Amino acid sequence: MIPLWLIPLFPIIGTIALTTIALSSSGSKQGPAEGVTGAVAVFFPLLSFVSVLVLSLGMPLEGIRQTLGTWISLPAFQVDIGFLFDGLSRIMLLFVTGITTLIAFYSIGYMRGDKSFARYFAYINLFLFSMIILVLSDSLPLTFLGWEGVGLCSYLLIGFWHADAKNSKAGNKAFIVNRVGDVGFLFGMLCLISIGGSALLSYDYLNAWLLNPVSAEMIGTAMPLLSLAGILFFFGCTGKSAQIPLLTWLPDAMAGPTPVSALIHAATMVTSGVYLLARLSNLLVLIPIVLNVILFVGLLTAFWAAIAGLFQNDIKKVLAYSTISQLGFMFMAAGVAAFDVSIFHVFTHSFFKAALFLGAGAVIHSLTGEQDMRRMGGLIKKMPWTSLVMIFGFLAIIGFPGFAGFWSKDLILEKLYVSGPMGPFLYGGALLTAVITAVYMGRLIIMTFFGKYRGSAEKEAHIHEAPATMLIPMLVLSIGSAFAGFLWAGLIPGAEIFREMLAPVVGAAQAHASSAHAAVHLSPWVFAALGTLAALLGMFIAWKLFMRPMPEAKGDGEPEGFRASWTFAFDTLHKWIAVIPTKAMAWFLDVVINNIILAAQWLTMGIIEILGDGVRSLQVRKVGLQMALSLFGMTLVIALVVIYGGLL
Amino acid sequence: MELQASYIQIVALLLFAIGISVTLTRRNVFFVLMGVELALNAVNLSFIGFAKTLPATASVAGQILPLFTIAVAAAEACIGLAIVIMIFKSQESADIDNYSNMKG
Repeated sequence: MIPLWLIPLFPIIGTIALTTIALSSSGSKQGPAEGVTGAVAVFFPLLSFVSVLVLSLGMPLEGIRQTLGTWISLPAFQVDIGFLFDGLSRIMLLFVTGITTLIAFYSIGYMRGDKSFARYFAYINLFLFSMIILVLSDSLPLTFLGWEGVGLCSYLLIGFWHADAKNSKAGNKAFIVNRVGDVGFLFGMLCLISIGGSALLSYDYLNAWLLNPVSAEMIGTAMPLLSLAGILFFFGCTGKSAQIPLLTWLPDAMAGPTPVSALIHAATMVTSGVYLLARLSNLLVLIPIVLNVILFVGLLTAFWAAIAGLFQNDIKKVLAYSTISQLGFMFMAAGVAAFDVSIFHVFTHSFFKAALFLGAGAVIHSLTGEQDMRRMGGLIKKMPWTSLVMIFGFLAIIGFPGFAGFWSKDLILEKLYVSGPMGPFLYGGALLTAVITAVYMGRLIIMTFFGKYRGSAEKEAHIHEAPATMLIPMLVLSIGSAFAGFLWAGLIPGAEIFREMLAPVVGAAQAHASSAHAAVHLSPWVFAALGTLAALLGMFIAWKLFMRPMPEAKGDGEPEGFRASWTFAFDTLHKWIAVIPTKAMAWFLDVVINNIILAAQWLTMGIIEILGDGVRSLQVRKVGLQMALSLFGMTLVIALVVIYGGLL
Repeated sequence: MELQASYIQIVALLLFAIGISVTLTRRNVFFVLMGVELALNAVNLSFIGFAKTLPATASVAGQILPLFTIAVAAAEACIGLAIVIMIFKSQESADIDNYSNMKG
């Protein structure tokens, strides 16, 4: 059996190696040797993937647990560094390491000629390390370490081209908004500690405690605090997974290189919120109110982001809003306690969204940096393979029958319908969102690949199909987005491998939740038919609306007017709720409190100075006097000791 | 008549008082140094005086220790005198109140 620590070890070795290359080549003009660097950058994630694969095949049903040692050892706070490899972390690790390997491979082509070639791959490897720690850890503090690590890498990679201040600003925004969410995570851990000590931070212990009938009474009394912990953890997840209210950073995060958007801001990091919800499933099902909050936040986010996606002109921004919307779907599934379904959607989404982003990256690469869809069009003739990949991803995301998104989105819709008395309304909202999804994705495909080319002539001459290093990962991912759904195809009896793999982790929680309401019996074919209808309707609307000559492109691609107020609604909201009060408080602290403290400081300083001057006048240059004084002092001390017997 | 231990202490006290008063009142650096030495040896004497009150086996240890002190004091006096001579050379004055170059 391979030890678990090998999985994170490989990418950290890769990070160190690539950092060395980056540092040693920073002085030279032509940068590092791209062949060697690229090989190192792909090799270590690949090793990690292979070891996960080997471990997955030999994994016992209850998972593998390994403790490396003690991390923090205080009387009231004990944390071990331990790894947990079970059904949930197996699936997460498989696609995290796999997709990182593919995207690292793709990046070799995409980043060719960049001066910071090695630095880029060092960040990617560091990201993989952090993500593995996040997913593989067996306790909340270690997960938090990975959680922070991926946040850091996201920041570094968004601001990768930091010569442009706009990119650095986007990185700062992502980091700061994520930190706001992290406060929720930290306080959630604090709540758990105050309920049952630091042992509760370990997932195994927490689950055992929650499921043990003996502790039911204790759980009952701790309910308010547990609910608070649930809400706080969910708040942490909204930061990482870009849900309302902390969603504004993700569209701006598109300032980074496109493979990064595919890897971090679509396939892996943003889904860690969903992962955490699934990890804490046993806690969340005890608190229906938190589940309801998750459900409605997910629904609102999905709907809002889908509409915002309609208004974008930047091809990456469309995909960013669609990611937010899809994450909303995952949260909805978690909100009706269908954690396995939400992880299934994470899994399928990572394939088709990565394929879409990589396709968009190929388009941007071939148009030498053009991201505005109004200056694209007709690319299907010039880039047939890329458009094939994009169309596969498109069919998967809108839920075309047979493609990956069809199965996972269908399951979510079905779970929403049977979730209780509110079910049909939730189902309707989600279905409407699915229609809008098909519309904006259809718009993207039509504007990019169909119609006539609308950009400048010089760029047209340059358009070319992506090189092989970029095409191979795209094709692998598009195959994934076509077939990954068959791991849990609701319509085919027996095709439930995915559910069975997750059952040991989230099964108990879901059994607890589903006993609360009676199941509604409706044929899965009805849901499938309605889902297909939604996809076809959306495609039809998109075809009707956008399959015609476009007006000439003006401006910088940012939406204007009511579209802007919809798109940037939450930016404005944040400005009024958080940024302006914080700035006002900062001003108050700076001008008022700071001056009061300074005045107190000056006062103390003055008093001390005057006293000091007084004492200094004794320090004259008379050695005799000095000695007499010191003798006097010594006598005084001896006298005191004699009188009080040394007990003073 | 047996030598009383208290007499030794009285002599030691007298010597110490003389040493301290010399140190405090004199301004010539050589006298100050001599005063310090005198006070030190007064303490040695006092030590021996107390050691004398103990039974013979323990008393020996108490009487040996001042020998070490004297040896250390000799070394210290060497260094002290050397410093004083150097200062005297550079300042051309034996008055300790003039030595204020190192005043902060």
